[in-house]
Amino acid sequence: MFKLDHKLIIFSILASATISFAQIVKKPDIAGGVYYPIVGDQTHIYKVNPNAYGLKLYKGRVPTKNELKAWDKDVMPDGTGLPEGKGSVEKGEELYEAKCIMCHGDFGSGGGGYPALSAGNAYEVHETLKNNRWKDPEADGPIRVFGSYWPQASTLFWYIKDAMPHQKTKTLTNDETYALVAYILNINEIEIDGEEVDEEYVLTRDKFLKIQMPNKDGFVPNIDGKDGVENVRKFFSNPKNFGAIKVKESERCMTNCQKASAKVVRISGEGISDFHPPISVERSLPKEVNKEEKKSNFNPQKVFETNCAMCHNGEVAPGAKNKGAWAKFIKKGIEKVYENGIKGTNNGMPPKGGSSISDEEFKKVVDFMLDFD
Amino acid sequence: MKKLVDVLKKNSLQKTQEPKLTSRREFFKKTGTLSAIAATAISPLTLKGDDDAIIHHPEWGQVWGDPVTKNLYGMPSKYEHNNTRRYTKLLASGNYRASIAVTPIHESEGIITPNGLFFNRTHGGVAHIDPKKYRLMIHGLVKKPIVLTLEQLKRYPKVTRIHFIECPANGGQEWRRPQYNSLQFAKGFMSCAQWTGVYIKTLLEDLGLKPEAKWMLAEGSDSSEMARTVPIEKVLDDAMLVWGQNGEALRPEQGYPVRLLLPGWEGNLCVKWLKRLEFASEPWYAKEETSKYTVLKPDGKAIQHFYANEVNSTVVSPSPEKPWTDLKDGEIVEIEGLAWSGMGTITRVDLSFDGGRNYVEANLKGLVLPKCWTRWSYIHKYKKGERLLLTSRAMDDAGYIQPTIDEEVGMIGVEGVYHRNAVETWEVTENGEVNHVQIRS
Repeated sequence: MFKLDHKLIIFSILASATISFAQIVKKPDIAGGVYYPIVGDQTHIYKVNPNAYGLKLYKGRVPTKNELKAWDKDVMPDGTGLPEGKGSVEKGEELYEAKCIMCHGDFGSGGGGYPALSAGNAYEVHETLKNNRWKDPEADGPIRVFGSYWPQASTLFWYIKDAMPHQKTKTLTNDETYALVAYILNINEIEIDGEEVDEEYVLTRDKFLKIQMPNKDGFVPNIDGKDGVENVRKFFSNPKNFGAIKVKESERCMTNCQKASAKVVRISGEGISDFHPPISVERSLPKEVNKEEKKSNFNPQKVFETNCAMCHNGEVAPGAKNKGAWAKFIKKGIEKVYENGIKGTNNGMPPKGGSSISDEEFKKVVDFMLDFD
Repeated sequence: MKKLVDVLKKNSLQKTQEPKLTSRREFFKKTGTLSAIAATAISPLTLKGDDDAIIHHPEWGQVWGDPVTKNLYGMPSKYEHNNTRRYTKLLASGNYRASIAVTPIHESEGIITPNGLFFNRTHGGVAHIDPKKYRLMIHGLVKKPIVLTLEQLKRYPKVTRIHFIECPANGGQEWRRPQYNSLQFAKGFMSCAQWTGVYIKTLLEDLGLKPEAKWMLAEGSDSSEMARTVPIEKVLDDAMLVWGQNGEALRPEQGYPVRLLLPGWEGNLCVKWLKRLEFASEPWYAKEETSKYTVLKPDGKAIQHFYANEVNSTVVSPSPEKPWTDLKDGEIVEIEGLAWSGMGTITRVDLSFDGGRNYVEANLKGLVLPKCWTRWSYIHKYKKGERLLLTSRAMDDAGYIQPTIDEEVGMIGVEGVYHRNAVETWEVTENGEVNHVQIRS
């Protein structure tokens, strides 16, 4: 085993166009940890084959322009990757109510285990970030939503385009994404260039690039610019910055390490004990569940309530037992209704409602919903 | 008694069918059945006489077992059905698609987590990728970008390493008070495995990384396209693209067929179902590195790009799940635990019996590897009725020591969610039950 002093292994970058493995700058680990170099045929206690490094192997091929375009969709704060387009708050609200409200709630208030998108005026909510319940457990905590917390709006555009709606992602056009971003800016009462994103607002690429989020400077270390990486290294070289303690082994406390006021804090009540399956370390055999019996116990109503009701009993999708709402779908034939349900649709219906039941079981759930009185 | 009668009948039946009771062994086999039934009401622990489990042939010892043709992919014993990942509604986000199922640490043995028990955290559900359609693209500030199929990727020289992966929210629900009376939920947002793949620096040799490249974006191909920004230094140090997990392909829950592995760093950074690496001179601001995985401090500023999981430890045995209620006075028992650090290698573990007032040194055992679970042990003579507050405290070779709860909260506050690594305490009650408590001033 060996541990090299960090300072002994500082190489310099040679003035070449590219960095090769042997020329990498060796410094203390950027995250405040130990750096274990490969020296000869070993790193820490692991043996390596030194002949396996420094080879030119290029086993793939160069991606085509179209392939790069298809996959390189990320959006950076400076606008790299942000497409042209535009969208109004009005259109955004319409889309939000069709595709987002079932999870993110009215005006982005959250619910159903999905995050809130707004807690009101972002500039005011931003002030709550200094709330910390460490001295007063009854105090209000900080509110971390898009408007109050996120440092860059580029994150929002990128995330919506790539990863929303959650159950059917990558289905929004650029203009639809702009519209949804506009709506979310609106419910957070964000101003762009001194102008509030009100209900009449139409967001464009140019306007988007002028967004300054209230919490833009709320993060440490500063990762931007040419010193970004070094800022990170400097930050993590001081344990106090991130709540860590360094001590020499011989100086660690072994006796009388506590304040006299130290006390035992217990879980309040049952604490969180809603565990699935319930905790057990028993080694007896599980109760045999007869497969046939399990099948006959399949309860379409229960599946409906856990997987479907969120949308189908809201305004979003035709409700259970609502003959009128289903009329235009049933016209296409029950097989089409089954098929759309099983495969999902572009209008937000996730395949089988996101459940993992069999096709036959799913059809029973559909039958339950279409069982009109 | 009815049962006994049935057995008697059955035995006489067997006798008639099998009249030749020739050997002494067979004699015991038959008569043994009777006393086995008679003894069922008596627990083997209190049995004064002979133990039936020894005296009589068990069922499995007399009949054929399964043929080798069964279970061609082996499964755990049917008796081990309670050794599973578990989930809670508290963390049910996204209809359990942006959620976590955690590892039963209380049943863990050694330093390797079996693949089926490895904790499972997803942001858009577990994707199932067709390996034939798998592609990895590496581009940006490189002279020659590349697209690789899975087979091409696997032809690079391999590296195998044992590392833990920990969700930085491990213990993150307990900043203000203990909440889980369970080791599985208090510390099970992590697992440890042997990973096989290729160093990214090996791939970069012939792509020609440009000197202005400072950051790498890693992006998943799952529905959430989970993405994170990684500083180039880690990429050129020990970052790997891995496809092997404990000797087989990655499980879908761990990113089959390929995930990024940044040894010691946040599990979230180890992007699963990896599809794309891009190099740039500026960082990206992906959703999971600003809206989440940032640590809000009392001054209202939040730590971003908080990479490494800090030094940490826990007592594994006993635990709330596996108490000492069956121990006898004076019995010698092993207190066992895990220690780990994403910043280096474990050097010391100290154990306190009084909640952290005084410590004694525990012993490390087995392999002691960087950024890896490390087992530790302390032999204790149990005194019936004793009340203990078991607290473990680890150190690593970077020089870090686990803070007390007061120390950590004093520096970071209680709203950080992530990267909580203060010492943890189990209370052993007078009757041997174990409760999760915290010691605070």
